[in-house]
Amino acid sequence: MKSKASGFTSFLFVLPYLIMFTLFLVFPLIYGIYISFHDWNLISPIHPFVGLENYSAIFISGTPENRVFLNGLKNTAQFVIYSVPLLVIVGLGLAMLVNSLPEKIRGFFRTAYFLPYAISVSVIAVLWLWMLDSNSGLMNQFLNSLGMDSIPWLTRLPFAWISLVIATVWWTIGFNMIIFINALNEVPEDLYEAAEIDGASKWHKFLHITLPTIRPIMIFVIITSTIASFNVYGQPYLMTRGGPGESTEVLLMGIVQQAFQLRQMGSAAAMAMLMALIMIVISVGQFLVTRSGERKEKNNA
Amino acid sequence: MKKSLLTVASGLAVASVLAACSGDDTSNEGSSEGSSGTQEITFWAPFSGADGPNMEQIVNEFNDSQDEVAVDFQIVPQSEYYTTLDLSLSGQQEGADVMIMHGDQIMTYANQNIIKNLDDIVGDQISQDNYHPTAWEGAEVDGSIYGVPLDIHPLMFYYNKDLFEAAGLDPEAPPTNREEFLEAAIATTNGEGQYGFAVPTLWPQQFIFPTVVYQNGGELITDDGEVQYDSPEAVEALEFLHSLIYEHEVSPADIQQDGELTLFLQGNSAMHMNGPWMMNQFEESGMNYGVAPVPQLGTEQQAVFANSHNFVIPETVQDDAKIEAITTFLNYVDENGMAWAESGQAPASKAVYESDEFNEMKQQPEVAKQFEYVQFSPNVENWGPVSDPLFSAVNEVLLNQSEPQEALEQAAQDAQASLQ
Repeated sequence: MKSKASGFTSFLFVLPYLIMFTLFLVFPLIYGIYISFHDWNLISPIHPFVGLENYSAIFISGTPENRVFLNGLKNTAQFVIYSVPLLVIVGLGLAMLVNSLPEKIRGFFRTAYFLPYAISVSVIAVLWLWMLDSNSGLMNQFLNSLGMDSIPWLTRLPFAWISLVIATVWWTIGFNMIIFINALNEVPEDLYEAAEIDGASKWHKFLHITLPTIRPIMIFVIITSTIASFNVYGQPYLMTRGGPGESTEVLLMGIVQQAFQLRQMGSAAAMAMLMALIMIVISVGQFLVTRSGERKEKNNA
Repeated sequence: MKKSLLTVASGLAVASVLAACSGDDTSNEGSSEGSSGTQEITFWAPFSGADGPNMEQIVNEFNDSQDEVAVDFQIVPQSEYYTTLDLSLSGQQEGADVMIMHGDQIMTYANQNIIKNLDDIVGDQISQDNYHPTAWEGAEVDGSIYGVPLDIHPLMFYYNKDLFEAAGLDPEAPPTNREEFLEAAIATTNGEGQYGFAVPTLWPQQFIFPTVVYQNGGELITDDGEVQYDSPEAVEALEFLHSLIYEHEVSPADIQQDGELTLFLQGNSAMHMNGPWMMNQFEESGMNYGVAPVPQLGTEQQAVFANSHNFVIPETVQDDAKIEAITTFLNYVDENGMAWAESGQAPASKAVYESDEFNEMKQQPEVAKQFEYVQFSPNVENWGPVSDPLFSAVNEVLLNQSEPQEALEQAAQDAQASLQ
């Protein structure tokens, strides 16, 4: 039984986090919900209560809010679907690759792959904008020198999505890789040894030892990658400007415009709340699906 | 489960960003009286580029020239300027006492009664006759004046003199109409990666497309709020720009953000259209460029799309002595704005743009030549977002992914819906 004093000490330790959590997450969240029920023009001193009007405008077909939200959601969902599998698979692949390197150069490559993650998105975007320039970019000059035609990297579908996904993977893959490297190092060496004695192939070892052992980390990476991809903003804002047309205009671009260009904080907050709700549902769904898969496997074993 | 919920919660940061923004962000001391009876006024401007030092020079000279008024000049980065302004103004607290506002933003703020109607001050303390009439009109809303003009910045025409000469064209005679423009564009296109006029598909199309529409005798939104994006004049303008890429082939296709600028700077595009603020960049590049009024690319009349910088005063500034201090400063800028011209801009003050010193400059007189026929953005609130569907349509058509008529009709419909 813990003494009261030690309970209080523990409380003191979590207190700083709790204060930050309340100040920067709980309070803004509640304030955001409050704003979403008002007609909140940023430059008007009066903010009348409008109930669910901001939400209903998003669902009534034909309103500008409906158009912005649905188009943004559709495009964001596409980005999530294209980017998350790559972020997970390439992350794991790189982790295994780096892990199998000789110890002397392993650290160098780990740092090299992680480095882009530390750069700000505006630098990343300018870098790729220059490389992917249709007429004078490095990529197309390279293709031309091989006798191939130029590719309209940022102005045509599906290339615009491919470019955004490539830039995103290059930018953030280091984070997932580091997490996977740690997970891989935790897999008990004796399991592999036992499998080797049984004559298991490399593929079998990966499928039956590596994957099941790193499953919890895998779930973590899938969920965090999905959330990060849902929050995509800087890459399309700076690289394609939402184009061609509005086909890469993601949800956050629409919300930011609603909030700061149209100054409709109420409607922007409502959109943000819906976006958060969708992300919660997806993340919980992902968690439940992967957990039930785990149970089934245990029952089968 | 707990852990994953926490990560989920981090996704909610979006909401926190939005909510946090309505909090007090900029608390400025609203002290009006400094020591020894000096009036202190705070002045905000978005001049975070190369033009910042020019305005700073004017302010410093003003502060040194007398000791009754002290101006505290603060630059807020362009990208955050209006958000910062909104937060300070919505807090109903004293932020700046005088600030720069673009012409296309004035109506939005005037209709909310958060910037001052200057009708009472004008005539008494500010003289309308000192400014170009078009600039003055650009700062009016429903016949009342809300801003004192600093400059007008219309679209400009830039060309590479070396490429003109190599193509057998007179480098001192830039094209003035559609015919000459096409001739020059075709002459300077060589089929080996050098083009006559690389057509942007994104910014600064926001200045180029409206220019051609107005030159065709059309308009974008009528004063009654009827969206005209799909008028015959607009469709013709877009078809013309489209034909430069796909019919005359004087521009490469699939130009992405800033692609046309890169080509011009590399000497791979002979002509270029952009705002007068580009001057410094072209000067630094060392290229042999010429600058002129935009040729008449439309079929009806000469016109050019422009925006402007104006001084506005928040409604919260009520103290008469302070207002007098502000007008003292504005009158000083009116008389002594030559430093602003050195940034490449053309001030709207007659004292500056009619002076000999001004007219000996390279770019600035060319800017002022266009004052007579500039067209500002339509009389609507939130021109930026209202025009977004239009420029998405222009983007799609110039990328050959939509038909002009259809795309513009859809854009007109979307914009009309957002106006109601």
